[in-house]
Amino acid sequence: MQSKLWIPLAVGVALLVALPALLSQSLVNAAIQMLIAALFACAFNLVCGQAGMLSFGHAAYFGVGTFATVHAMNAFNGAGLLPTPLMPLAGAVVGLLTGIAAGWFATQRTGTYFAMITLALAELMHALAPHLKGVFGGEAGISAMRMPAWGLGFGSSTEVYYLVLAWVLLSLALLYLFTLTPVGRLTLGLRENSQRLRFLGYDVHRLNVTVFAISAMFAGIAGGLQALNTESANYVLLESHVSAAVVLNSYIGGVTVFLGPALGAALMTFFGYAVSDLTRSWLLYQGVLFVLVMMFMPTGLAGFIRWVGTARRAHGTVALLPMLCAGLLAGLLLTAGTVFTVELLQRFFSQDYRAMAALNAGAGWAPIALFGRDWLPTAVATWAVPLGLWAVGAALVRATARLWHALQERAEPAETPTAQQGSAL
Amino acid sequence: MENLIVSLLNGVIYGLLLFMVSAGLTLIFGMMGVLNFAHASFYMLGAYFAYALQGSLGFWGALLASPILVGLVGVVVEKYFLRRVHHHGHAHELLLTFGLSFIIAELIKLFFGNFPVDYRIPASMDFALFRLGDANYPAYRILMGSVAVVMFILVYLLLTRTRVGIVVRSAIYKPRMAEALGHNVPLVFMGVFGVGAALAGLAGAVAGAFYTTNPNMALELGVMVFVVVVVGGLGSMGGAMLASLLIGVITSLSVGVDYSLADILAWFGARAWAEQVGGLLTLKLSSISATIPFALMLLILMVRPSGLMGEKS
Repeated sequence: MQSKLWIPLAVGVALLVALPALLSQSLVNAAIQMLIAALFACAFNLVCGQAGMLSFGHAAYFGVGTFATVHAMNAFNGAGLLPTPLMPLAGAVVGLLTGIAAGWFATQRTGTYFAMITLALAELMHALAPHLKGVFGGEAGISAMRMPAWGLGFGSSTEVYYLVLAWVLLSLALLYLFTLTPVGRLTLGLRENSQRLRFLGYDVHRLNVTVFAISAMFAGIAGGLQALNTESANYVLLESHVSAAVVLNSYIGGVTVFLGPALGAALMTFFGYAVSDLTRSWLLYQGVLFVLVMMFMPTGLAGFIRWVGTARRAHGTVALLPMLCAGLLAGLLLTAGTVFTVELLQRFFSQDYRAMAALNAGAGWAPIALFGRDWLPTAVATWAVPLGLWAVGAALVRATARLWHALQERAEPAETPTAQQGSAL
Repeated sequence: MENLIVSLLNGVIYGLLLFMVSAGLTLIFGMMGVLNFAHASFYMLGAYFAYALQGSLGFWGALLASPILVGLVGVVVEKYFLRRVHHHGHAHELLLTFGLSFIIAELIKLFFGNFPVDYRIPASMDFALFRLGDANYPAYRILMGSVAVVMFILVYLLLTRTRVGIVVRSAIYKPRMAEALGHNVPLVFMGVFGVGAALAGLAGAVAGAFYTTNPNMALELGVMVFVVVVVGGLGSMGGAMLASLLIGVITSLSVGVDYSLADILAWFGARAWAEQVGGLLTLKLSSISATIPFALMLLILMVRPSGLMGEKS
């Protein structure tokens, strides 16, 4: 099992290394963002998925990492003790220290309280930052330059990409190795039953703070990489939507698998980049996707992939194929219907359209241009499109469920004796 | 002196407003163990519904209709969303409401735009009730405070003096026993969730007209409400009341205080040093008044982690 995982992992790393040769410059920039988001999500998942503590304020540690790195870039000018490639270390150290301080407070309580305290701490930082001009640069923020070091210029995105890739791979490896250490195993114990850990004689509060601080440290590294990438920092980084994004991404990816959050963050960042020119409602789609995942697929995308793997072993690929195709088609149709409705509504309620309508009062509603066609908002045909898409999609969902039940029933005879035994016991 | 009284009055009324939202939150938490992240979104929905309806129903009609609509939204959230994920545990429910709050904020932006809308108090209420020194005191503030007080009294009487109240309290205290005695506990949960949401909606409809109505109002108030319930103690109505008033008064008073840490250090002859260090030490209290509730919360967590009136954890 372990050895089989190495092959896709090696292929993935090789692909990441070869990426700049295959992609255009702007896509490399997007890839840098994806890598940073993936590391941030994995750092977050150490607290959230592994230790079972929901943090709603992780932007704070990401943000201080960025600010610390920008300050370090200005202080060292890429020379001396901290040359440019090692700059994220500044983010790591400051992230760790902030994490210890914030973690000491936040982990006084567990569960719901913890979530609220982390949120409040992040808001405290966000409210305070614009007033501390010396540290956070006020409203304008602070900026720095990437200085050449080690014979590299760091002028092109490709060089930055390799630097970020090296840091992200190293950090992910360290995070993974951490889960194998005794402290890493105890972290899982915190999630499962901290009461029991206390009875076993462990100092639970100290353990909580340790885990929180390590997570904050890696978030700080991700923030430092962000500073290297954008060469600037603004207090907007501390805003709550950054914290919200990491929660959404991690759960969409799946917090039960180590690389799940990285997968979710990379995918969502990529989609955010790809559709940001096309729609203003990207955050709405992200929120809807998150709620759907929480309601119907609590283990996230990674959990879904794993489930497909198990089902394939149990029923065979050929038997599974019609069901997966039907499910995929249903998803596509439902998505298309939803996107159509949201985009149409967005354009209908936009200020431009309202102003137009007010200007030509009495002329009726003007058609809305969408997907290369003009749609009349008052026409039945316009609204029949999403309704039709939804209806067919819903029918396909039914069909998928029926196919799945049929598959299970076919597999049933083999399992029945054990099931009966189980119920008899 | 007059300034102090005006500040105090403003603080108390802001505190009552906070209580209107945090009461529902803490009631729902005490009953279902769910921290409803979307609760402040109900507050925002109340303001926007009232804004959208005031054209057809008039201000007062909208003020009545909006909480009812928000209550219905709350019922839908409980019945079709929260109940479905109940078996996954409380963290899952918290995350779901977090996602819902996200969606509500984005939907508001979609329909009303990402900017403040023109929701204001009616001309009939826009007058000064009395004068304090050289300041006119707006009647609408008093109305906001009265609505909160009346609501509090009604909820209190409902919970303590009626049969419905007894069933609700027993469902909070021992849900399984109440169910075994033949009460429809899921219905009670749904009802309390809806009423809590409606209260937040009422607060939004009343306060949105006085303060600004924008897509960020849920987040701004939501964080403050969380601070209130941590300071007061989760699940405690009395604690929520006390903490709301405390935080309302403190934020209101601190806006008028022009001192900084450097002024305190000056008593020890360290003013020059403090001004040299700058940063946090020379910030005036008035400019960082928004951060004081958070500082208060950290202080409470240090000395009394279960909150002012919370039970021992």
